[in-house]
Amino acid sequence: MDFHFSNEDKKTLKEVRSFIKAETTPELIAETHKLGHIYGGKEGRRFIRKFASNGWLTPNWPEEYGGLGRSAVLNAAIREEMAYASVPVVFVAAHMAGPVIMHFGSDEMKKEWLLQIARGEIEFSLGYTEPQAGSDLSALDIRAVLKGDRFIVSGQKSFNTASHVADYHWLAALTDPDAKRYHGMSLMIADLKSPGIDIRPMTTMAGWQTNEVFYNDVEVPGKNLVGEINHGFFYLMSALDYERMYPLAAYEKVFDMIVKYAKETITGGQPVSKNPIVRQKLAQIKIQLEANRLLYYRLAHMVDHGQIPNYQASMQKLFATETAQLITNTGMEILGPYSQMKEGSKHAVLSGQMENYYRTSVVETIYAGTSEIQRNIIALRGLKLPSK
Amino acid sequence: MNYDFTSEQNILKESAHKLLAKECTGQHVREMAEDEQGFSLELWEQMAELGWMSLLIPEKYEGSGVNFFDLSIFLSEMGYHCLPGPFFSTVVSGGLALLEAGSDAQKGKILPDISNGRCKISLAWMEEEGRYSPEGIKLGARKKNGHFILSGKKLFVPDAHVSDIIICAARTSDDLKSITLFLAETKAKGIRIQLLDTMAGDKQCEVLFDHVEIPEENILGELDRGWPILKKVLLKSAVAKCAEMSGGAEKVMDLVIPYVKGRKQFGRPIGAFQSVQHQCANMLTYIETMKYLMYQAAWRIDKGFSFEKEASICKAWASDSYRKLVALGHQVIGGVGFMEEYDLQLYFKRAKAAEQLFGDADFHREWVARGMF
Repeated sequence: MDFHFSNEDKKTLKEVRSFIKAETTPELIAETHKLGHIYGGKEGRRFIRKFASNGWLTPNWPEEYGGLGRSAVLNAAIREEMAYASVPVVFVAAHMAGPVIMHFGSDEMKKEWLLQIARGEIEFSLGYTEPQAGSDLSALDIRAVLKGDRFIVSGQKSFNTASHVADYHWLAALTDPDAKRYHGMSLMIADLKSPGIDIRPMTTMAGWQTNEVFYNDVEVPGKNLVGEINHGFFYLMSALDYERMYPLAAYEKVFDMIVKYAKETITGGQPVSKNPIVRQKLAQIKIQLEANRLLYYRLAHMVDHGQIPNYQASMQKLFATETAQLITNTGMEILGPYSQMKEGSKHAVLSGQMENYYRTSVVETIYAGTSEIQRNIIALRGLKLPSK
Repeated sequence: MNYDFTSEQNILKESAHKLLAKECTGQHVREMAEDEQGFSLELWEQMAELGWMSLLIPEKYEGSGVNFFDLSIFLSEMGYHCLPGPFFSTVVSGGLALLEAGSDAQKGKILPDISNGRCKISLAWMEEEGRYSPEGIKLGARKKNGHFILSGKKLFVPDAHVSDIIICAARTSDDLKSITLFLAETKAKGIRIQLLDTMAGDKQCEVLFDHVEIPEENILGELDRGWPILKKVLLKSAVAKCAEMSGGAEKVMDLVIPYVKGRKQFGRPIGAFQSVQHQCANMLTYIETMKYLMYQAAWRIDKGFSFEKEASICKAWASDSYRKLVALGHQVIGGVGFMEEYDLQLYFKRAKAAEQLFGDADFHREWVARGMF
């Protein structure tokens, strides 16, 4: 075993850090915050194109597709750097859809899409969830009917985050409604500007927007089908395994803010950090951050050894998101009533960020599979427990 | 980065597993818990012959070269099979203290004997306060005619009753941190050892030092400078203990998972119920996090990197996680797991014993906090 970054990776990470430091403007941070850390806004796009021109968005992709031919470990580490810096961190095209296209897409599809993705020129949004298909993605209802060289798509998606700023929809749709469960679904790429698509905002309690996406006889070119028709559910499962690689560094930054606050804030005549209960709680988070780091890089190790992370991705997502909620709740406890002050409010501390992260962290254990779904996967795939 | 064992390490693991599966059965573990010596000399000699005791010892002292990571693989297997006896106190705590602070003469005399299985050691640290702190050490050592006279009482000393040497931490000045380590021969005049009856049947002793005369050359390290040595030994021993604990946790999984697959209620295996599946998923998460934290700390020790933070992190996490994992195991297995004849009880007891050794979770969280504040 070896738990170090290579010297080459360390050097690249140093460059990434100084790039991010130099290029992160207050406007970019404000936009990222407003969009809920997804990519697609004006500032984000400007930043990412420059960033991606170094190959850093997809460092583990082959050079012919705009990567650097480097390791997944480096990719994972760069994502952590971005998350820590509060720049956009959720990249559907580069980190979820891209790997699936690489694995299962035709050569034509790879040529058409991967280079644009690697350069940060286009972004996808996930088109999985529907009103009746949340945890059970096999219950999709949206239909895609093949007519000649195109699909005609009709139906409704919900909770499709980033659809209002992304360029394309990574769409799961039924192509054979009569097939057995899991065998009638296909994955395809739909242009979100297509006639017949109607995007309506759903506002979250964290203040940012997700969307309902309505399809009304929308034409999607047949060549945009990913892999084989009716194999979509299995591609989607492997895309989810990538999606579940969860960089926790945005919350690690919140943790570091809380630690600093505890050092600098005096209550009862001494720094908060002298309180033994506070020390125990913050040390526990530090420990969980370390455990999460090891689970996270294990996924990268697996990718570098030709494996698709499986139950291991569920475990890391579960562990990371529960740790995220522990961090935000502990922060609320330590800041006390000040934690509730919103940004710009009189008496706000830490720029009023605590309550914002506390609200946002609610959804972390829900999207990309709830904690219950993750535990199901760990039990069924990791421990091979029976399903009935 | 690499999360895999080398093929040599896989072979080490398999060979240790094979021997202990044969020689260290649940029956053997139960017998040794009742037995006064508490271990099988035959198995001890077999392990020595296979070189298990030489893993931390440099070649010039007849060891096989210092390899903490490989040792952790063996310790995991020992934890898996609940190996009773003085291996840990001798090879890990004793060996580490000697390696850390021993003079050439002391190392030359004792390390080859550890390596060959001829010498057993115990580290006498705790006293009535029951804490790992310099303040808790009251046993005094007074200098007289080129000797030190040790008087006082040590508690919870592992395997002292079968040890040849006791490393005794004694107070040598009023300054709180002035602790000195002494190598005391167990048969020295004035040492009295009493075996304590414990929950897990592991052998802990009360060791009375009644004006025990120890020559100055038996000081391990320097006078008054024993505490930093103890601290290092504590942290490395904690990592080694985590290796045992993660092995024990693996065995608990091997008891629980086949059971929930086979046991039927309401017409189906209980492992098909999501309430049971989720407990099992939590167990797997505990064990995998424990393992990687432990391997990372062991790897850092091996490479000579700083390891103090990682050691405390892994012992704090393992102390809580192993106990919780066993508790979940008990919960999903139900009444059968509560029976004395079922092996789960062995791990329940050892999880608590291991949790309290070399600092529990609260203790190590405080040490982690000291690194932060």
